[in-house]
Amino acid sequence: MSAGTADRAGAKVAALAEALVHLGAERADQLSGAILVVPRAAIHQAAATAREHGFDLLLDVFAIDWLTYPGHGGPRFSVSYHVHAVAANERCSLRVQLDDGDALPTVTDVWPAAAFMEREVYDLFGVVFEGHPDLRKLVTPEDLEGHPLRKDFPLGESPTLFNDGRFLDPATFRAGMIGASQGRTGWIGGARKGVLSAAIEADGKGGDA
Amino acid sequence: MKLERGRTAVQEMGRGALALEETGEFETKLMRINVGPQHPSTHGVLRLVVDLDGERIVRLTPQVGYLHTGFEKTMENRTYQQVVTYSNRMDYAHSFGHDLAYVLSAEQLVDAKVPERAQRVRVLLTELNRMASHLLFLGTGILDMGALTLFFYTMRERERILQLFEMVTGVRMNYGYFRVGGLSYDLPEGFEDKARAFLDDFPKMVEQYADMFAKNDIFVNRTKGVGVIPPEVAIANGLTGPSLRASGIALDQRKAAPYSGYEDYDFDVPTSTAGDANARIMMRFAEFEQSMKICRQALDRLEPGPIKDPDRRISLPPRRELETSMEAVIFHFKLVTEGFHPPRAESYVATESARGELGYHLVSDGGSMPYRVKIRVPSLVNLQSLEATCVGGLFADMVVNIASIDPVMGDVDK
Repeated sequence: MSAGTADRAGAKVAALAEALVHLGAERADQLSGAILVVPRAAIHQAAATAREHGFDLLLDVFAIDWLTYPGHGGPRFSVSYHVHAVAANERCSLRVQLDDGDALPTVTDVWPAAAFMEREVYDLFGVVFEGHPDLRKLVTPEDLEGHPLRKDFPLGESPTLFNDGRFLDPATFRAGMIGASQGRTGWIGGARKGVLSAAIEADGKGGDA
Repeated sequence: MKLERGRTAVQEMGRGALALEETGEFETKLMRINVGPQHPSTHGVLRLVVDLDGERIVRLTPQVGYLHTGFEKTMENRTYQQVVTYSNRMDYAHSFGHDLAYVLSAEQLVDAKVPERAQRVRVLLTELNRMASHLLFLGTGILDMGALTLFFYTMRERERILQLFEMVTGVRMNYGYFRVGGLSYDLPEGFEDKARAFLDDFPKMVEQYADMFAKNDIFVNRTKGVGVIPPEVAIANGLTGPSLRASGIALDQRKAAPYSGYEDYDFDVPTSTAGDANARIMMRFAEFEQSMKICRQALDRLEPGPIKDPDRRISLPPRRELETSMEAVIFHFKLVTEGFHPPRAESYVATESARGELGYHLVSDGGSMPYRVKIRVPSLVNLQSLEATCVGGLFADMVVNIASIDPVMGDVDK
């Protein structure tokens, strides 16, 4: 198997690790490459330092929810900043650990590319980035409650309330699919209740509005 | 000037005319226009909220997520080998690229030894797919500028490539042909001759219409000097791939951190310094030549041999062994029912897709399913450069700018 990214941590990364020691950074390398674990309070300063050391291309910001990871102690989430030094062709990750409800300072002022990436983490994990110019959901619908990539978010079992008042309950939906029940969807607030029940009455199979 | 919502263009003009009568000055206001998500020139379902001052764009906000399917969450609930079914469904124009990025990362976790032949086939198919993806890009890109004819030419070549893929995998999209540890089965008989025939024909076919891009006045006037991205802005916005190379930065993961044996191939990384939409579009023609070079070398070096890692903990045993060996039956049963268990680790292999850096960040907890899958998709990050290219420019150039960045919305939304 040919080289991956693990051998792309050389002098630049070593120099950055050295410069971050006084902030309390520790190196925890993985197969994916060099990882520098930085205390939460120092992440913005660490990001600025990395930028000064030539790590100018921010590739990714992503979170990991360690809730169900066997044997994991410590904070629930970790957020990684995957950076690349274009001139030196070296790369590493800055990683910060945080508990549910903890906020992080934004790094959009260091790397503008973080704008979408932090929105994605905010959307899917619920990590708030303070000072972000436009912190909105990125991919999930506005009316979806919760953060789907958290480990305690159930798979395929989330009841969905649509903007027009239509309500989809997974259990009822499945029952409708196998013919055990008539109703496939329901309505909240009685918006079009009469129409729906009339449709069910008419075809006898369960109307899909 | 400030924006007032809920007014039509005619109302705004009426107000402006009233003000002209009263004060002698024509009052202008910003106008907010919604583009997409259902529009042919947004290459899928991209929605743009654009604030206009006359014909000039003052502000632009991309809205994504219309194709969000939760691939990452789904993959976290599938075994490592099953993920291949999903990985190719995001970037439907460069499916093999996603497959390759995933299997490389999973192979890093289990330290698989991929045989030479499998690596050559992977490189060959991925490069062919890169050409097909660029052809789709060129055809739809110029279609946005109103040239219908060229679309049919590029589709003609793409069809030849898709026929090759159909011959290998049986399908024209969503191939799912790579496996962790190698390939699912060997190339069919006669494939190499057909691939060679295509590579011989391809330059002649491109020659027929390359000038219709390069020397087409309408195309050149609409793209030259439009949407210029200076190199420092490109890097600040996280741009990668051909679009970054058109801004003069020779960053290509195939050279920067070779994978799948790319270090053995002789090819160049073409760059351009213009950084405008024209450079980004013409960059694809330069990449055709390099991809063809790589394909030819891969075909020349294609020796018969094994196509899977012989390690029984990763690869299924050959069918005939199941009739004679109890051990093979046990391994087969284990792999099919629960899959393999990589050690606890995190892996990431950066690959160069047709759009930029693509990689799967996998976290293993020792189980048979990945604990966390994070896909670094190029299209989503590249979209952030739209603001740099469009703001201050004409509304009509926005379509050119979207096309030149080559977003695939399946890749953006995951």
